[in-house]
Amino acid sequence: MSTPIDLSRVTFIVMREMRWPIMALLLVYSLSIFGMVFVPGIDDESGKPQHLSIFHAFYFMTYTATTTGFGEIPFEFSDAQRFFAIICLYASVITWIYAIGAIVRLLQNPFFIHAVAEWRFSRSVRGIQGPFFILCGFGDTGSVLARGLSDYGWPCVIVDDSEERIKALQLRNYKVPMPGLYADASVPKHLLEAGLQRPNCKAIVAITNNEEVNLKISTTARVLNPNIRIITMSKVEVYEDTLVTLGGEVHIVDPFKTFAKVLAAAMHNPGFYALNRWLVREKTASIDHYVNPPIGKWVICGYGRMGYEVNHVLSKYGITTEVIDPDKDKGKDLKNYIVGRTTSKTLVKANIEQAVGILAGTNDDGHNLGILLNARHFNPNLFTIVRQNRHLNEVAFAASNTDMIMQPTLVTARKILFLLIAPLLKPFFFHLLENKEGRKETMEHVIERLRNTVGNKTPHLITINFTHENSKAVFQWFDEGKDVFLGDLLKDPDNRNRLLELVVFVIKSGDEIVVLPEEGYKIKAGDQLLFCGTGRAQRLFNATINNEYKLFYVQNGVFMPRSWLAQWIIKKTNRLGV
Amino acid sequence: MNLEKVVFGFFVVFALTLNFGFFLGEMDNPDHHNVFELFVVIVVNLIATILKLGDRSQIGAVLLATSLVADLQLVAAAIYWTMAVHVAESGLTPDVMSSIVSLSGGALLANVISAVILVSETLMSRL
Repeated sequence: MSTPIDLSRVTFIVMREMRWPIMALLLVYSLSIFGMVFVPGIDDESGKPQHLSIFHAFYFMTYTATTTGFGEIPFEFSDAQRFFAIICLYASVITWIYAIGAIVRLLQNPFFIHAVAEWRFSRSVRGIQGPFFILCGFGDTGSVLARGLSDYGWPCVIVDDSEERIKALQLRNYKVPMPGLYADASVPKHLLEAGLQRPNCKAIVAITNNEEVNLKISTTARVLNPNIRIITMSKVEVYEDTLVTLGGEVHIVDPFKTFAKVLAAAMHNPGFYALNRWLVREKTASIDHYVNPPIGKWVICGYGRMGYEVNHVLSKYGITTEVIDPDKDKGKDLKNYIVGRTTSKTLVKANIEQAVGILAGTNDDGHNLGILLNARHFNPNLFTIVRQNRHLNEVAFAASNTDMIMQPTLVTARKILFLLIAPLLKPFFFHLLENKEGRKETMEHVIERLRNTVGNKTPHLITINFTHENSKAVFQWFDEGKDVFLGDLLKDPDNRNRLLELVVFVIKSGDEIVVLPEEGYKIKAGDQLLFCGTGRAQRLFNATINNEYKLFYVQNGVFMPRSWLAQWIIKKTNRLGV
Repeated sequence: MNLEKVVFGFFVVFALTLNFGFFLGEMDNPDHHNVFELFVVIVVNLIATILKLGDRSQIGAVLLATSLVADLQLVAAAIYWTMAVHVAESGLTPDVMSSIVSLSGGALLANVISAVILVSETLMSRL
């Protein structure tokens, strides 16, 4: 375990820089005091010249050097003393100015400021007790992600190479500590300062704007900590190949691929898109309102990364597409490819009247909105999907009455958030979307149950690890050889006839994944469980698995005796509890 | 020859010798202990302390610690002297004097340790 930059560097700089100013002050003071003591004062009654004592001379210098000037204390000075006092005053005041100047110069030195910031940063990282994540890159995606993690109560350490962003970070009100450092995250030293090798660091997220930097961060992180989860954003395939071979747990998030997959899922499973949006807590999302992208001919405007991925997925499902893009080389392999900017002319050429849906997926927000208006003019019933590139344009997009708005930054941030806080969601969704008999009904069933339990309240996706620290009561039961069944844990510990407002999605036990486990499922040590429920349900669930009295109650319906006397009576009367 | 080492060694040894000079004499006799000598001892000790600041090595840390101990003891002695003469106005009675001298004796010990470390470090780097 190597310790990152410590206090010694900052103190070292201060000491080295302040050595001469302090030395100068010391010399001037001591010489002045020495002089003041020896210069003769006015004669006393016996005719001998009076002298200042060392104490009085020090007192005199203290108020003179700081230009306070209390006067001639303790007795009137002789002219000789006054003459020497002038010298003392100028010398000491000038030395003070020099010393203060040196301090100010040091405080203004950018390297010193940075060293102090680094020291403070690594100190607050060391102060984080529970598990935390490292977030490299605090752009649009990073700030959305940090907000989401804060809502779930996960601390996060942020490194960004923009000073403004880190300053902005310090002004935000997060519920948990979010220390930020202004530094290049691809430098190993800064990753160590961010706590990469700390045992409670659970994952590193590399989402800077620069792909190369992301790759560098991922590689460095893997070398320095072979067990850490790495999550990164990548749009270039060459990098992805390298990332995959790093070993360990590496997730590569591509917002466009993710969106295309969600879109395809939505076409076949209308509930899925609603469920997904509701789980990510999108503002306008409701679990009752399904979005149903129609199957038929689609027009894709803009054949960039988004156009490519969506076209790829749609074609795979046998949907005909018309692609419009000004670049004539990009779509050489496509059957229906119209070269040109999206205008009414090209839209007509793409048979917009016969289309069922349109995707405005260029990287220009104004253009995307224009495409929508244009297309609606020809075909008002179109299903519309629009790509919103910049967060700032939110108001305009919200007013555009679009069926689906795709913001790459949001999609990335939410996907990463789920990977971090609910890693089991992926196998769960995978199970629901599998092309098998009865899966659609399962999905409807899940949505129905969520509607009845959580309803309009904010959904919380909670991962519970059955470890000794996280579930003390359950482990106590294991030690005593008793079984714990999932069904009991789902009861309200305040009144076991009620059920907690939650739906268990999945349990991972060793390598085995149990989707929608039965109430009779027997909890084993080391199980990981994912549920969706209200905030209250989360608190009560945690109370049950940590408090032996509550666990006893939900299992048996009677209360466990607490005092020795009550225990004795219970034993004598052969009852189970009070 | 390293000028910094010369200055450094000079002040460390000078602090020790001055401290010894002040300590020397009958313990409770004010005539044997000069107030100016105490003043100079403090100043030289402070200079030695400042010279030790900023050394990041292990030995540097120990040297700094001994110096800080000496400063603390000497400043305590000076404050006690001032209090006795100017505030309590009891004058330098034998018990006051012996307290002051014993404080400076403690500082002397710290200075001796400082000098021993300095010498041994020099010898070690010679080997």
